[in-house]
Amino acid sequence: MSDPSPAKPDLHLDFSGVSKSFGGALALDGASLAVRRGTVHGIVGQNGAGKSTLIKILAGLHKPDAGTLLVDGVSQPHLTPALAEELGIHFIHQDRLLVRSFTVGEALFLGREPRLPGTPFLDRRRMQREADAVINRYFGLSIPNGRLISELSTAERQIVQITRALIGKPAVLVFDEPTAALVRREADLLFGLIRRLRDEGITILYISHYLNEIEALCDDVTVLRNGRTVAALPVANTSARDLARLMIDADLKELFPVRTIARGETVLEVDALSLKGRYEDVSLTLVKGEVLGITGLLGSGAKEFVRTLFGLEAASSGEIRVRGQRVKSLKPPDAIGRQLALVPEDRRGQGVALDLSVAENTTLSSLGRFSRFSFLARRAEKAAVQALIQRLQVKTSGPDALLGTLSGGNQQKVAIAKWLSAQSEIYLLDEPTVGVDVGSKAEIYALINELAEKGAAVIVLSSDLPELIGLSDRILVFFRGQVIRELSAASVTPDQLLAEATGSHIREELAHVG
Amino acid sequence: MSEFATVSPAGSPPRIRNFPSLAPRLALPLATIAVFAAFSVVSPAFLVPTNVLSILTNNFALQAIIALAMTLAVTSGGIDLSVGTAVDFASFAFVTLVLAGQPVPVAAVAGLGAGLVVGLFNGFLIAVIGISPFLATLGTLFIGRSIQQQLTNGGNPVYLPQTGIPDAFRFLGHGSLFGVPVTLAVAVLLLALFGLYLGRSSFGRTIIAIGTQPVVSRFSGLRVARTVTIAYGLAALVAAIAGILLTATVSVYIPNSGNAFLLNAIGATFIGTTLSPLRRPNIPGTALGVLLLAIVANGLLLSGLNFYWQQVGTGLLIFAVLAFSFLRGR
Repeated sequence: MSDPSPAKPDLHLDFSGVSKSFGGALALDGASLAVRRGTVHGIVGQNGAGKSTLIKILAGLHKPDAGTLLVDGVSQPHLTPALAEELGIHFIHQDRLLVRSFTVGEALFLGREPRLPGTPFLDRRRMQREADAVINRYFGLSIPNGRLISELSTAERQIVQITRALIGKPAVLVFDEPTAALVRREADLLFGLIRRLRDEGITILYISHYLNEIEALCDDVTVLRNGRTVAALPVANTSARDLARLMIDADLKELFPVRTIARGETVLEVDALSLKGRYEDVSLTLVKGEVLGITGLLGSGAKEFVRTLFGLEAASSGEIRVRGQRVKSLKPPDAIGRQLALVPEDRRGQGVALDLSVAENTTLSSLGRFSRFSFLARRAEKAAVQALIQRLQVKTSGPDALLGTLSGGNQQKVAIAKWLSAQSEIYLLDEPTVGVDVGSKAEIYALINELAEKGAAVIVLSSDLPELIGLSDRILVFFRGQVIRELSAASVTPDQLLAEATGSHIREELAHVG
Repeated sequence: MSEFATVSPAGSPPRIRNFPSLAPRLALPLATIAVFAAFSVVSPAFLVPTNVLSILTNNFALQAIIALAMTLAVTSGGIDLSVGTAVDFASFAFVTLVLAGQPVPVAAVAGLGAGLVVGLFNGFLIAVIGISPFLATLGTLFIGRSIQQQLTNGGNPVYLPQTGIPDAFRFLGHGSLFGVPVTLAVAVLLLALFGLYLGRSSFGRTIIAIGTQPVVSRFSGLRVARTVTIAYGLAALVAAIAGILLTATVSVYIPNSGNAFLLNAIGATFIGTTLSPLRRPNIPGTALGVLLLAIVANGLLLSGLNFYWQQVGTGLLIFAVLAFSFLRGR
């Protein structure tokens, strides 16, 4: 890692000691990044490791609290988006897609439209010429400037994004999760393009969750963990497995209580379930008292699979049986009727209503229990809620407090309490501890264990791998729409699991493409 | 456990006051009393029994029923711009059947049915097709207007003859129950009924949850589409009651006259929502909002101001409510 030593001439980007905190939470803690000129440099790390903060600092969107940023050996303490562009740093964002109602020409030249000399009018002919030159040269095709972005395919949109960057004559091109939305063939084309751009002397930064891509494509790689740079090394000297090990924090283990597993009867069977374009041929059985872990990258289909079980998506084929009974058309009310429960990842958007009270949230899925002739027995309701508050140790002023006044961890406890009140027996927990403080985390883990011990069946979907291993009995790994592995939680390590989830098994296959 | 008594999620002080403090709970009743008192001082003709009854019967009753309908739609997270259409449809069906010699109860049921059609159509557009409530009910408003013009040769009123009107019809328009005019009695009854039901029932809870956070409601297994459809259906049904009472009072159906109630219905619902402790649409709040607007309208008139100043009064009142709400929010 780089000490504040004199600028090294072969380094295009040289960041050191970069720190940044948001409202007390440290996103970057003295991270460093050294990128050699004309190389493809990978950045990897788990969610929350600080990758996106680092990239946003490079883009001039965030100002670091501390640290030095050298670009071409020159210190840039006041980086702004405009200055970054001036320095030739361009970004291909997966999430900042183009404005759909723009035409290709507008999207390509937004903010830097060429004018007819001496007039305020756009030089449309020159715009088309410049666009054609780039698109034809690199992609061997043509996209008319007049087409609407909304008419383009995902791959074509990405071409437009890259073209926009190339028209700006970039020195550094940053690809942020570029393949997440691409099919395999398109991704292969993209890799070919990236290698070609590198050979033309452009420095490439490549951020991806797919470690196999990093292995196949990058020259060097920087590994971030908890806001720190834990490794910076040539890819030739490492493997996806090693990278996975570096990405994972091995220090937190003791949070997980031991559970005595009392296996009961089968409550949930899934047979060859498919949802077109999301996942295919998923089968599993779940017994009472079991915690089944599921993991997979964004786009692996794991989330959609869990949503299907709760009736939020309609499977295109396959069968779901709850307690031996075949479920035909499933909607959330039916799922709840069969005592299924879903705690969604997006707590504030889907899990709990911040503008309703603790009590109103807790009984939202079990109003029938508390009403007679449609009138609510408010005293009984309040007593039941009070009991759940006690049991889950929810820190709140009482059942009437608005949920928005609670901390994230306590909101999550209410999201779970809602299903305890509904007397659910099959729990689907999607990232149950996302955005939850460590103390509440431990309490939620204990609660999940308690539920399983009392005979509930639990499916936990999580990208927090130590958590998943600590909680689960078995773990299913989703990759690009399929279950590629079933592992016993007792015998798997987080880095093995990460290697599976990030596709190290297709590494050899991919290596041939380049 | 004593920690339940005090909020202390470590490091994050509560953003919103947990228990509604006294001020917001009393804001609307106090404002109503204050305005009432002010006009009593300004105008000697104001605080007279006949005038107070006139406010309640002529300015308050029908408007309150229609504002109640609006509140149902707003509680579900939308708005119903076509409350007036349901009023008109009910009124038209009612008058036509009475003229045709049908018994008043039959005509009234037909009127309710005609109104309900409007609400179910809205429910279908909003809950099934997924059009935004504003646009869906705006569309219904336009379509309803056109239909009425078609039915009445371009908008001619349908009068009932002065003679031969059934007693039941007369009773609805001008009768009284225990000394209270029927219109006012019905309004109070409906407000009490719906106020109690929405405030205490699982349906009321469901509709509030859906209006507050529809996605969370769906993820919690509430039947969102069904509830929203019922809300618009009920809204139209309630508006239809107003339509029948309106026609019985004036003995005439005037095409598209129901829309006159629309803006005040929105205004009253907004006032009731803004000045409630949790800022939720609520029926007592709406009722007081209508009462406040009614007092202002009547009071300004009696104070010798031109009729056309009424709307200025309403506008200023809404600004005042907004200002109060803004100060409270800080």
